[in-house]
Amino acid sequence: MTWLTEWAGYLPQMMSGLGVSLLIAGISIFFGYPLGLALSLMVTAKNLAVRTVGLAVVEIGRGAPALVILYLFYYGLPKFGIAFESITAACLALTWNSAAYSSEIMRAGIQSVARGQLEASNALGLSQRDTFFRVIMPQGMRSAIPGLMGVAIQMFQGTSLAYAIAVPELMKSAYNIGSQDFNYLQIFTLAGLCYAAISMPATWITVFFEKRMARHT
Amino acid sequence: MTLSEIADGRIAPRFGIKLDNISKRYGDHVVLDDVSLHVEPGTVTALIGPSGAGKSTFLRCTNLLERPDSGTIQVGQHTIEPGKEVNSRDLAALRRTVGMVFQSFNLFPHMSALKNISFPQQKVLGRSKEEADERSMQLLERVGLKEKASQHPGRCSGGQQQRIAIARALALDPGIMLFDEPTSALDPEVGLEVLAVMRELAADGMTMIVVTHEMQFARDVSDTLVVMADCKIIEQGDPRAIMSDPQEARTRRFLRAVLER
Repeated sequence: MTWLTEWAGYLPQMMSGLGVSLLIAGISIFFGYPLGLALSLMVTAKNLAVRTVGLAVVEIGRGAPALVILYLFYYGLPKFGIAFESITAACLALTWNSAAYSSEIMRAGIQSVARGQLEASNALGLSQRDTFFRVIMPQGMRSAIPGLMGVAIQMFQGTSLAYAIAVPELMKSAYNIGSQDFNYLQIFTLAGLCYAAISMPATWITVFFEKRMARHT
Repeated sequence: MTLSEIADGRIAPRFGIKLDNISKRYGDHVVLDDVSLHVEPGTVTALIGPSGAGKSTFLRCTNLLERPDSGTIQVGQHTIEPGKEVNSRDLAALRRTVGMVFQSFNLFPHMSALKNISFPQQKVLGRSKEEADERSMQLLERVGLKEKASQHPGRCSGGQQQRIAIARALALDPGIMLFDEPTSALDPEVGLEVLAVMRELAADGMTMIVVTHEMQFARDVSDTLVVMADCKIIEQGDPRAIMSDPQEARTRRFLRAVLER
């Protein structure tokens, strides 16, 4: 009982932290997915220069830990006279991260579209543009949805890294509360439950979508 | 009103097609070896032969889904030399004139039957949505699938999907229709409904080239039977004559395999 009453007392501060976490996750997904689509197109482009740039951005985004990129943005770039607020740096680093991961999922989705769809579009005389945006992409994106939702959950959990550059997100709130009266066990349990309260329903929705799509194919 | 009159709005000029000296190889592997075929306007040509003979590849060269290494393609007044650079206007004109139906239907699964037929009309011919939908409904009615207009392809049987695919190709007013084993993916009974639509189209005078294993259809409907084997046309002519008295040993062997089973 005491845990519950204490948790109730912590909740307002935790909620504001959760709000910041959701904001960072939302921004990195909102900008990350369109960038991911652009990157997936670059990686499959015919032009070697475009393909190389795309590959480099994707491979760094996936290969380097998000924390390293975060530090580079926050501590590294000021060296070149580019300084960000901590929350901006967090959004930029996680956007890169989500763009890199989502681009691979979208590329796989687009490449999974049956070859016959392209042939039918060609035989009908549809332009390349219409073929891609109206025939191939809608189908590719449909099969990419579960993977993209997975990236979204991963991004939300990844916002906890922003704690390392003092962004007042959920982990930072928890740590602040914990350092006041050393109830670390209680407060981090609560923090874990807050992350789970968002991530688990999101996972269920993903599974629901996967099942629904399996039924239609 | 007949199917092809609906297809082209009015009695449109029929196109013939002349394919000359078409060759195609993948690396060292020859697929088509100097193949020529002339198809008169308003006639039906059936392409038969053992698998691997190059029938489908040859058909797909006709609308450049497959790019031949050399040869010429003449449709109407357009002459295309695929071995050289083909400009996009010639390619667009060729594909506008030539409609194609695939073995695996290749309908767009994320669009309703109606949208499948209307969308290309709007994009390729610039028809308004209303014009396109009206034409689509006429064609759907003619292939007996008016009630399926709002359904997605996944909700239709194979035979229904193939008939929708035929309507989709006809909606662009093609002068020539290519069929690449249109019934091979279908149950024999279901295939009949597709063949019925094709017979009707042939009777209306559509120029058609059909790659098929349906010997009955080839014999009854086609004006010219073309037998391909080993990357070449080995025999062509009147379908009944060839089927009853093949001149080539290879034709005889193939026909015995498909007719006497």
